Amino acid sequence: MENVLVDVRSVTKDFYTGKVVVHALRGLDLLVKSGDFLSIVGPSGSGKTTLLNLMGALDVATGGEVKVFGKELSKLSRRKRAELRLKLLGFVFQAYNLVPVLTARENVEFVLELQGIGSERRTRAEAILEELSLGELADRRPSEMSGGQQQRVAVARAVASRPRLVLADEPTANLDSKNAEALLQMMRDLRDEHSMTFVFSTHDPLVVSYASRVVTLRDGVVVSDESKN
Amino acid sequence: MRVSLITKFAVRTLRRKVRRTLLSVIGVGFGCAIAVFMIAFMRGSGEIRIRSIAESGFGHIRIAPAGWEESDEHELRLQNWSEDLEVVRSMKGIKVAAPHARSSALLAFGTRVTGTEMLGVDPSAEHEMNRLVRAVSEGRYLQPGDRDVTVIGSSIAKRLDVELDDDLLLTVAGEDGSVEYAMLRIVGIVNTGSREIDASICHVTLDDVEQLTGLDGPAEISITLHDYREIDRMVPRIQEAIPEGDVVLTWKEVVPSQGGDAASDRAFMNLMIGIVILVVVLGVTSAQLTAILERKREFAVLTALGMRSTQIMRLVFLEAAVVGVFGAAAGLLLVTPLVYHTATKGLDFAGMMGGEVAMSGVLFEPIIYSDMGFWMIPYALLLALASTVIAVLYPAWFAVKVNPTSALSLREA
Repeated sequence: MENVLVDVRSVTKDFYTGKVVVHALRGLDLLVKSGDFLSIVGPSGSGKTTLLNLMGALDVATGGEVKVFGKELSKLSRRKRAELRLKLLGFVFQAYNLVPVLTARENVEFVLELQGIGSERRTRAEAILEELSLGELADRRPSEMSGGQQQRVAVARAVASRPRLVLADEPTANLDSKNAEALLQMMRDLRDEHSMTFVFSTHDPLVVSYASRVVTLRDGVVVSDESKN
Repeated sequence: MRVSLITKFAVRTLRRKVRRTLLSVIGVGFGCAIAVFMIAFMRGSGEIRIRSIAESGFGHIRIAPAGWEESDEHELRLQNWSEDLEVVRSMKGIKVAAPHARSSALLAFGTRVTGTEMLGVDPSAEHEMNRLVRAVSEGRYLQPGDRDVTVIGSSIAKRLDVELDDDLLLTVAGEDGSVEYAMLRIVGIVNTGSREIDASICHVTLDDVEQLTGLDGPAEISITLHDYREIDRMVPRIQEAIPEGDVVLTWKEVVPSQGGDAASDRAFMNLMIGIVILVVVLGVTSAQLTAILERKREFAVLTALGMRSTQIMRLVFLEAAVVGVFGAAAGLLLVTPLVYHTATKGLDFAGMMGGEVAMSGVLFEPIIYSDMGFWMIPYALLLALASTVIAVLYPAWFAVKVNPTSALSLREA
């Protein structure tokens, strides 16, 4: 079990809208293993984003157990969950969500600064941008970049601290196919070269085609889990 | 020195909505300017009050016989007046030490009589201390070596219908209760413009008081300092320096009504300043809360990235601090010309008060000057920073409490 990064067991998650209870997850089980390039697919409302939120320590389950790197998330304080996100997880959002007032390099540096990395954070940020062929964007602010460029910088930010697990919610949803392919190739290279694990929630067949494993959700449970060679 | 990205983030964020930031800065600046002007005026009027009290003969500090404060008896005398006088006159920071003795007296001229408080003085010291002395409108003030002469206020002169060189009959109670009297020639008439003060001035030499009352020495030594702000520091030093037996009092203890008035004026002014700051705080809170609500998604992202609550608060407080610093600068720009004008030209209250103002035997200067100085810079900074930081407490708490899932939803909003 050493290579299991995320262990989701019998997880339920309910949302309350007034008196109406929405059962987003209904006893879901899932293991994410090191090196997975995993796509979570399913129709809207199937629980993809909710599952990603739980695995990312952004939310806590109503029932069951979510262990990330062996830590049961419901037992962690808010501060500890923040620390876990900062040190062990990377996030890529559908809407890029770069800090608009910071340049590409500063966005990457920012995460390193939050981690308490001092003088070498600039060098490290530049190195990761160069590695991902984003060096020429270093001094540009998000408003001066295309969507594809922003999303690639967002990936650079997510992987800057070399997290073992990167969670990406619909990362290609706002990109054209060329940019989407470049992004996926970049993430797959990161997985191969740095032993990172990627988990996507997606509707995009292109993402599915790149995935090494596809998990399908329906009504809050896993209905299929297929590995590709 | 490398600036942290959180600081850059904070500063650049303020440039996102320039108009809102400018309005916040102007709001803080206005509030700061009003508060600083009020403080400058309060400090100026406070200084003038203390100077008026001191120069009306009360001094900043008084050495009095033990028990005088409770009894207010004129008959009490200093136990060691000559040593006291010698000690204080040799101390650094003392401008003048003037010995006084007082006695209730009746003044008569022909069939006209009036009651007053006779003040025995050392003419040379009194000349330096008492600004009433400078208001001699006819004749001259007392001089060292004078005997059997007096300087009276114009209201007394009018009431008794006397003029210079007339001889007044002065009657006082002697040491053993006997009635003592003397004929005093009027050598000077004081006209301060205040009827209250001019009806109470009857200055004679200390020697004459001693002779009339049979009581040796002065009953008090009024002391003025070069710097009135040293009062609280000087009192224990003087008390320690003089021989045991006499006590050292501040002007607040000598003229408690003025001390009370000063305290109520200060309290009222502080209340006004508090109201101004409250208005500023509410304005900034409203603007900052709106800004935070607009950036809810951004704070959700920061939380998702692992930014700790303390770091988010630091970001919000830094933004507020920058607004505060610029607000303070704006406030100083706004208020400095106003304070300069009132510090150099003053605000003349004579017209409003109908002439000179006197209370409790104190002749107040009718023109009040603001206190202008470098103190305004730290005060402005402190006021602006405190109000902006207080103002963002709630918005900062709100930013920290943003739920990364509900606000972010990881999807396009």
